[in-house]
Amino acid sequence: MSDIDKNAGPIVPDSALGRSLGAYTAPDLSGGFADRIIAATEGRAAPLPASRPAGSRWRSARRLAVGALAAGALGTAAAATGVLERIGVDLPSPAEVWSTITRSEPEAVPASRQGSGLPSGALDTRIEIEGPVDTPEELEEVFRRVDEIREERRDIRRERVDRLIDDAIERRREQGLPAPTPEREEQMRERLDQFRERRDTTREQRLEQRREEYRERIENGEELVPQDIIRERREERFQRPVGRRLERLREMSPEERRDAIRRFRERREEMSQQLNPAPEERDQEPEVLQAPQTDAFEMQPEMPPE
Amino acid sequence: MTIGSTPKADATNEDAALVARIAAREEAAFREVIGMHAALLHRIAYRMTGDAHEAEDIAQEAMLRLWDHAPRLGQRGEAMKLGPWLKRVAMNLAFDRLRSRGRTSDADVPERVDEAPLADEALAAEEDMLAARALMEGLPERQRAAIVLTYYEELPNAEAAEVLEMKLKAFESLLFRARAALRSAFEANEAQGGAA
Repeated sequence: MSDIDKNAGPIVPDSALGRSLGAYTAPDLSGGFADRIIAATEGRAAPLPASRPAGSRWRSARRLAVGALAAGALGTAAAATGVLERIGVDLPSPAEVWSTITRSEPEAVPASRQGSGLPSGALDTRIEIEGPVDTPEELEEVFRRVDEIREERRDIRRERVDRLIDDAIERRREQGLPAPTPEREEQMRERLDQFRERRDTTREQRLEQRREEYRERIENGEELVPQDIIRERREERFQRPVGRRLERLREMSPEERRDAIRRFRERREEMSQQLNPAPEERDQEPEVLQAPQTDAFEMQPEMPPE
Repeated sequence: MTIGSTPKADATNEDAALVARIAAREEAAFREVIGMHAALLHRIAYRMTGDAHEAEDIAQEAMLRLWDHAPRLGQRGEAMKLGPWLKRVAMNLAFDRLRSRGRTSDADVPERVDEAPLADEALAAEEDMLAARALMEGLPERQRAAIVLTYYEELPNAEAAEVLEMKLKAFESLLFRARAALRSAFEANEAQGGAA
């Protein structure tokens, strides 16, 4: 035992220090102590009321308000520092939100928001489909293009997540904080890959199920408009007149929808005849009719993949 | 195998029942608690303040606080441990008195002047007591509390830490320093030739 430990060890009553401390005896309580206390209780105020339950409404409201403010502040800070963009959360600008509410034309998106540190054109990729899809070949071509874009976007997302993980580990190492060992990192990445695989499998199954439905509709002679196959961006859907028409179409009963599609085909047929008259008619009337196009024909959808 | 509660659990149940009875303003229960704990509180307060009258005031105030707060303390149910709670209140009251005394007086150790003729033995005992008191009062108040609780009242470290509202490790460190300071002061006194 060191001198310090010995000096700070327990005090033995038989030691010189113990005998000295033993001399510090406490006197007894004076007689009638209990009676004096009991007498003192006579003049005491009434017992304190039981404390209020923890879930007092005012206290709860205060906590809610503090929580909401804190959440708002955190959200604002995250948006301001660009964290949400880095993790792939697309925040609409105030102008976009306003245009969605008022259904007015949104202002052009500033160039600074388009980059996000991604490969050029990564998020601007769109699938272009002209006109309705009414043959199995056209449908399979649409699927092929969609798959192409999906692959590309999936790779970009994976690359972004991997880069974020690498950056985080690197930062921890630089700051001298505990970082996963190479083995542990390998395990984590394996688990991440397994998770991705499971998620992709589930998505593929759902997608294939939906595609089968499209194939059946084509086989049944139905025409598909691009919006049936490719989900349009919400803000774009509200901005385009045809989007609003399609929205209305979706809200119709099956009978009404079939009737609307039939009328649309008749109009298209009629316009087609006007644009490409029969040979005898062409001889009689050589001028090419400039028939007005409908919104559906004007539409060149540029939408993100499913 | 028999199923029963441990003595500690019984004590806790008993404490809870006593507090409930005091909350119901049952004088007998209050007297019982005074009989069980008042002397201990008085000893603690005396060794902390070195003044018998002040110690009685502290013990009385601690008991009256129990009377006042019994309805609220009763809500703790079996978690209510009367002994540690009373010791904590008494210790905090003692700290308050010491701080108040420090603000109003510069006197370190109240000198007791007794003009009555004393036998040699009584005189020696008185000197020993004053020396011990001076040793204790030379310690910072929390170190003094650690010695009072563990050496004089023989409380386990865990309970003493609970009274002082400290983590066990922090309390052990405090006790370590208190013992070292006490030994140093004692050895210094001895080197100077005895009583302070």
